[in-house]
Amino acid sequence: MSDPSLTNPWLAADGLSRRYRNGRGVGPVCLTVGPGEVLALVGPNGSGKTTLLRCLATRTSPDSGQLLWFGQDDRAAARSKLAVVFDATAHADELSTRQNLAFFATARKVATELWEPALEAAAVAELGQDPLYRLSYGMRRRVLLAEALVGDPPLLLLDEPTLGLDVSGRQWLAEALRARARLGLATCISTNDTDFVEQVSTRVCFLVDGEAVRDAPLADLLAELGGTREIQLSFRGPAPTALVRAVPGVERAAAAEGGLLILARQREGLIPEILATLGDLDAHLVDLKVRDPGLADCFLKLTGRALHD
Amino acid sequence: MTERTEVALGRRQPARAGLLRPRPTQLWQLELRGTLARRRALIIKLAFPLVLVIPLVTTGAPPFFAGMLLTVLIAMVGTVGTGVTVTRARGSGWLDRLAVLPLPAWRVGLELFLAGWLVDCLQATLVVVVIAVAERPDPATLFTTWLMALAALACSGAIGLGIAALTDHAGEAMLYLAVVLAPVLFLSGLFTGVPAEGLRYWVAQVLPFSYLDEGFQLLLGGNPPYGDPLGFLIAAAVFLAVALAATAALGRAILARAA
Repeated sequence: MSDPSLTNPWLAADGLSRRYRNGRGVGPVCLTVGPGEVLALVGPNGSGKTTLLRCLATRTSPDSGQLLWFGQDDRAAARSKLAVVFDATAHADELSTRQNLAFFATARKVATELWEPALEAAAVAELGQDPLYRLSYGMRRRVLLAEALVGDPPLLLLDEPTLGLDVSGRQWLAEALRARARLGLATCISTNDTDFVEQVSTRVCFLVDGEAVRDAPLADLLAELGGTREIQLSFRGPAPTALVRAVPGVERAAAAEGGLLILARQREGLIPEILATLGDLDAHLVDLKVRDPGLADCFLKLTGRALHD
Repeated sequence: MTERTEVALGRRQPARAGLLRPRPTQLWQLELRGTLARRRALIIKLAFPLVLVIPLVTTGAPPFFAGMLLTVLIAMVGTVGTGVTVTRARGSGWLDRLAVLPLPAWRVGLELFLAGWLVDCLQATLVVVVIAVAERPDPATLFTTWLMALAALACSGAIGLGIAALTDHAGEAMLYLAVVLAPVLFLSGLFTGVPAEGLRYWVAQVLPFSYLDEGFQLLLGGNPPYGDPLGFLIAAAVFLAVALAATAALGRAILARAA
């Protein structure tokens, strides 16, 4: 094997499983993250993304399976090489951005001269003296991400990284993650923001009900959708999913975000046929969008379920 | 035009005054600064023991009752402060963040405790100062009782940490604290005094609140049976060491909960 990320993964989970009393959780899962990789854990709510990320981040102990960080089963040693962002924006809220960053950077032994550039890159340096409780949720998320990104930790784990970020925040984060990959650093994100995943990830692991149903390079997943189109229909009322599935060329159809998400082979007359089916039902169509398929359609094709339902 | 707008427009340089001030690089510094920054809460926290001790010493309350009340106050301050603070820290996700830093769990436990304990010590010191001014007691007794108050605060802080390792809810932590503290204070002889012999006598010897109760009674003109400054000094050192060891040991349990 010539791919260094496969021969020498920085993070390797083998048969990892963590289940709660109610049966939810994750596993068994096998995955690796190597240098220069951005692995995205993608799945709907309750699919086990966050539980898996918490295990990978040393926060939660798995019930079974093996986890290796940089080739070692040593959580304490791993923590000196990783940075983690969970969904909560917990800080010392009465203190300033700079004071909070100083603590986290010192704990991770990041050189002082790197602190200020990290705040400037996140566009929070101007607010550096303000107590954090005065900042908006989005700005606090930026601070949180800046605290994790400072010093370029070899392994970065982010849970729902785009939560609360505006357009410029997403662009900044996407560029920061791409820059990390160029530097040969490893990143693992947990999200169902497929647009962001398509911007930054090199590999995607789809999770459904705690199981990894597909783990493949992003390019391979998108290539599998060649010749198909994504059709989004919005209705006032229930979506007639079953009838649409019967239209020739429709590969998958699932209820999603108050409408219907359809993945279909591109051919002449497809849209009119679908609309004719709906016309028979007297369904109240309020919107129709056709676009090139993306990662959400990969998930639909693979599982028959919409990612955002 | 606001200062921030001017900064954003590039007309003024952003304030860098904070760069000159030492920044908190240790967890206890961060926590302590956070507490000190909450000015109103800090004032109330410091005023709280004063509204109890000033009436007690100025109205000549019986030393047995005054000593009991002040000891209960010290026990509550330490346990509630630490227990509720750590429980809330877990709920907010703060402990999650600390748990994945390259800091040993014992150090996280110790530093979380230390930050709260230093403020608690300020509260206890105010109590002792008020008594010193009002009663003009023997300096050796005053000093050893003050040390015992700090040691008792450390022990009650350790109890608070232990309870924070059992629950995720601040309200539930308060209930646990009451359930744990009530028998401990009873066994310390606060409500009935300590018998001269038997099991309760020996149990009281290993509880800091029995010493503290006696110390307060001595300072307030009482005549408790076992008051001994040297014994207080040694006991305070032992209790402090035990409390610090316990908080360090509890660090792992606190971080492990809800992991």
